[in-house]
Amino acid sequence: MVGPGFRDDHILLIAPGSKVTLAQLGLPESFTPAKFRIPTRMFPGIEEGQYLPNKVHEVKEGEELLLGNGEVATAGPNGKPVKKRKADSASKPSATTQTPTDGAAKSADTAMADAADDHEDNEDEGHDEDEEMNGTKEEGSNSKLYYEDDFDEEGAIWCLDQGRIVNWEAFFALLLHVHETLNPTFHTPILMISQPCWTCTDKERICQFIFEKLKTPGFGMMDAAAAINAAYNSQHSLVIDVGYEKTDITALIDWNIQEVNRTTIPFGGHSMNKHLQKLLPEFTEEEIDQLKRSNICEILPPGVPIPGEEDADRDALLRPVEPTTIGMGDLAQPKALDDEGNEEEEEGVTNIAAIVASGKTQEYLAKKEKEKADKKAGLAAGEKRLPNYKRETNSFLFVEKVHDSVIENGKADHPVEIPDGERMDVDITPATTTNEPKPANEAPTAVGADGSLQASSEAAKTDSEASKAAPDGEANKSGPSLMESMFSATKDDDDAKRAQEKALRREEKKRQEAAQSGEKRREIEVGTERFKAAEGGILEAIADAAHRVVSSADNYNMRSECWNSVIIAGNGCRVKGFKDALLNTIVAKYQVSPSSGTIFTSELPSNIPTPSGTGTNTPQPSAFNSQQPNALLLQAAANNAALAAAGQHHLSIPQPNQGPSSIKIAKIPEYFPEWKDVGFEECMFLGAQLGAKIYFVTDQGASKGFVTRADYNSQGPQAIHNI
Amino acid sequence: MASTPQMSQILPSTTKPAELEYGGDEVSALVLDPGTGTTRCGFAGEDTPKTCVPTSYGIIPDPEEQKYFGKLKIGENPINSVVDGMEIRNPMHEGIVENWEVATEIWRHCIEYRLSSRVEEHPLLVTEPIWNPLKKREKTTEIVFEDFNAPAYFLVKSAVCESFANSKPSALVVDMGHAYTSVTPVIDGIPLRKGSERTPLAGQHLTTQLRHQFTELGIRMAPWLTLKSKTTYTDLTAAPPLRTKDFGFQPHQSFLDLQQDRFIHEFKECVSETWPESKTFPADINNLPDNFRGIVDKAFEFPDGYQRRFGIDRFLAPESLFNPSVSPKPLSGDLPKGIAEMIKDSIDHLDADIRANMLNNIVVVGGTSLLYRINERLNHELMTMFPGPRVKIHSPGQIPERKYSAWLGGSILASCGAFHQLWISKQEYDEVGANIIERRAK
Repeated sequence: MVGPGFRDDHILLIAPGSKVTLAQLGLPESFTPAKFRIPTRMFPGIEEGQYLPNKVHEVKEGEELLLGNGEVATAGPNGKPVKKRKADSASKPSATTQTPTDGAAKSADTAMADAADDHEDNEDEGHDEDEEMNGTKEEGSNSKLYYEDDFDEEGAIWCLDQGRIVNWEAFFALLLHVHETLNPTFHTPILMISQPCWTCTDKERICQFIFEKLKTPGFGMMDAAAAINAAYNSQHSLVIDVGYEKTDITALIDWNIQEVNRTTIPFGGHSMNKHLQKLLPEFTEEEIDQLKRSNICEILPPGVPIPGEEDADRDALLRPVEPTTIGMGDLAQPKALDDEGNEEEEEGVTNIAAIVASGKTQEYLAKKEKEKADKKAGLAAGEKRLPNYKRETNSFLFVEKVHDSVIENGKADHPVEIPDGERMDVDITPATTTNEPKPANEAPTAVGADGSLQASSEAAKTDSEASKAAPDGEANKSGPSLMESMFSATKDDDDAKRAQEKALRREEKKRQEAAQSGEKRREIEVGTERFKAAEGGILEAIADAAHRVVSSADNYNMRSECWNSVIIAGNGCRVKGFKDALLNTIVAKYQVSPSSGTIFTSELPSNIPTPSGTGTNTPQPSAFNSQQPNALLLQAAANNAALAAAGQHHLSIPQPNQGPSSIKIAKIPEYFPEWKDVGFEECMFLGAQLGAKIYFVTDQGASKGFVTRADYNSQGPQAIHNI
Repeated sequence: MASTPQMSQILPSTTKPAELEYGGDEVSALVLDPGTGTTRCGFAGEDTPKTCVPTSYGIIPDPEEQKYFGKLKIGENPINSVVDGMEIRNPMHEGIVENWEVATEIWRHCIEYRLSSRVEEHPLLVTEPIWNPLKKREKTTEIVFEDFNAPAYFLVKSAVCESFANSKPSALVVDMGHAYTSVTPVIDGIPLRKGSERTPLAGQHLTTQLRHQFTELGIRMAPWLTLKSKTTYTDLTAAPPLRTKDFGFQPHQSFLDLQQDRFIHEFKECVSETWPESKTFPADINNLPDNFRGIVDKAFEFPDGYQRRFGIDRFLAPESLFNPSVSPKPLSGDLPKGIAEMIKDSIDHLDADIRANMLNNIVVVGGTSLLYRINERLNHELMTMFPGPRVKIHSPGQIPERKYSAWLGGSILASCGAFHQLWISKQEYDEVGANIIERRAK
């Protein structure tokens, strides 16, 4: 082969996370979010030590099996499935088409536009494998049937726990599964994102597996924090990677990870779930999770009271910002109204699908709206138009069942989808688009007949007015953060309203999509608990750990640089307002405030060095040299300078200033259009692509960015530490 | 290796790659450097340790518990979280391990945390202070072979490591650590017991002194973790109310002390400074002579928002390292000698023929040596004490090299080829018992 050793389209990227493993084959022209997201779990297979990506049920002849998606399979003679029907209706025709079952089909089928076909494919695949399995294992005894159930998570083995690999067999099986799914060529080098908590022996084990089982010609590992930093292209930074059950905090100085001081704390997106669960014990886990991902769950900035609560303490908790009181007291609604709303809205399930199918959506919504308006006797007028943060209660759409699946984002024509998982466990855009579409014919039977459609009715109303004005693409982007809308609200409340309307429009669109795909959904109303997701101590814990990490960085001068480039990434921080709240917490507690004027006035950069008897000629950036040093000090300095000139080596390391005096969020890179829509929470994968490009393509191993097969053969698994 | 060989390795996509050729089994050695403040650990041959965990641990006492009589919390994050009833303790006493059970757990954590999930595969090099008694050395040996099941092991004096880290086979090593400042003469890699001295005038002493100083000033020592937020103020008499967090319980005093140590540490880094000369330090800092002026004030903000300028008083605690009689908090017992005095003592104990060599090779390391301008002061004092021979102080210019000097030396030692014959193998231990350490590593 002439030219570069590796080609862009032959590079395999794998980023294992506690919930979801991101993967992609090939580097696109313009770097994209990961094309594959595969749950980081495996199921025990039929045989001991065997692992399968999906749950497999064993069915004896004649027995019925209820699959996770509500279908029932019955095993017939000869290991053939005889029947396949819906649990509650027999309307669904059984699948008969045979399709080849290789990795390619599997990955492609999930992204197919035609939902029905897609579903059948999956099942067919299941059949084929069933037969294979029977053939190999049963040997003549044809009484058993195995079903792969894509939607059942029971008995799943999650390979990673807080980033640590807890089940190696399953993890390797997963890597194999990922490898097969993406089906790369023999000369595909692999770049893996490593979790900060992986030990050196962990990395060696992975390296060994990759070379010996996957037979790759080149393998590199890139630390998650380094990858995030690379995406932001920041020389010094403090990377806070909020994951599922852990948060990694790493300081990087001159692109180098400060290995000794980095830390991982056991708080993550899931900690917020747990806290919400405590506040809302009557909710199921799934409901809590979707609440957290919904638009209405947000963390209010300091100075914004939780509606209906006289929470003076909140102000104290965080640094009071200038516009402490944003006059909105007059807009708070009476309590009685709220109770009424509660009862009504919890009635539950709405047959949206039927309504949409009937084509009378607008009329229905209008009717509903009118009813509601009458009921509330005008009291509620305008309530629903209020931004979320001014309402005591708000509701979100609960989707009955969420399934993880392999989704190929690239092919979907709606914006990139983000299913759940560690890397995406808090999704601003509610789970709607994340689900694998189901057959449309399923819908009418699946959805309850009765219910109210309150928020959606309102939404539809505003929507019908405004949807023409704003293109869908925009509506699907993550909306303006609460911070933004907050500040604009102080100036002009209309802005906030507009933002809110946008959100409503977005909601409505999803509702419609959902209706088309026929998922069961219902409205769930939540009180002010929805603003308290992060009050379980996660912010303080992260802030304190961040302070410890930076304060122990061994390069005094660079500490302030790190504070000036804080990167908050990871899907745990997708909750609305989380990043701002975290930054505020850090600032409130740890930033050295130049407030009292007189003391810190000289904090401004000064070029007058204090006498540094260090022999280094490094002018010490002293902050407090308003007075001239006394003669003794000067004398001493002169002495020391003389000694230094004589070749003395007794350096004093310059003294740092107390810090941080300013804390800033790093600037998000602007030149990756594909990422703008999705958000930069997963920018680690962007960093991985940048890294892969440099290691494998640009310098082709000149700077030892990866382990080659030759390196491995001569050095063994330890070669991974030499890169 | 250049980039070309790898090119030939790339096979066409249709050809299966060659089968595994690697058959070796090289395992790198681990270097463990246990101190009172932190325990450092990493792989031999690297330039910084991979982990550096606080040696202090948290314990929730529970007499029912069979082991340790409580629940252990080891590692940086656990000991920095507010937990009901958690006390902070330290398994070290006088720089050597006292509570072996816990120390073993801390060492294990240190190794398994980020280095290797398989302790039993790595040869282990451990450092020890020169005053480590035989019993403790044997105990260390036992732990390494019995608990960790290490294949090979060696125990090295940290002073030797420190001289190696500064590429000097012979040196007078001044190690200013957390619990102790020690002086050890090392000749051709052999530490001399004669002439080695130590004093508790070190990091912990500074912390105690500063804590006392702050308390005397009436500063509220509320640490970050107990606060919700701060309000900046400069007048102690008109301090705004503390915005403390309500945990529903009172954190243990030892925990609060540990948290206070964090900002006291910051104070040490940013504000404390060593006075350049012993003679000119004012006798009474509250009553400065008229002609005494021009100290550069430095401001410090405490976690509760109190801002204060420190003038001559920021020199006080470091001064007490050299002149313990000025300690803000009077020391109990006999007044120890200042650091410079102690170095002089050490030199005086040495044979006359090596004194010049030692004076010319004074290596100053340890975290406390990062105190601003302490080396200038040390140099000044030694120049006054030994006007004749040329005094030369060597101190690494990089912060990690100072903090991790002992570890770094251990890393160099364990990775050099000639060291291989020194390892004590598991087999030797099995044959001889823990006393092997006395035979093989004196």
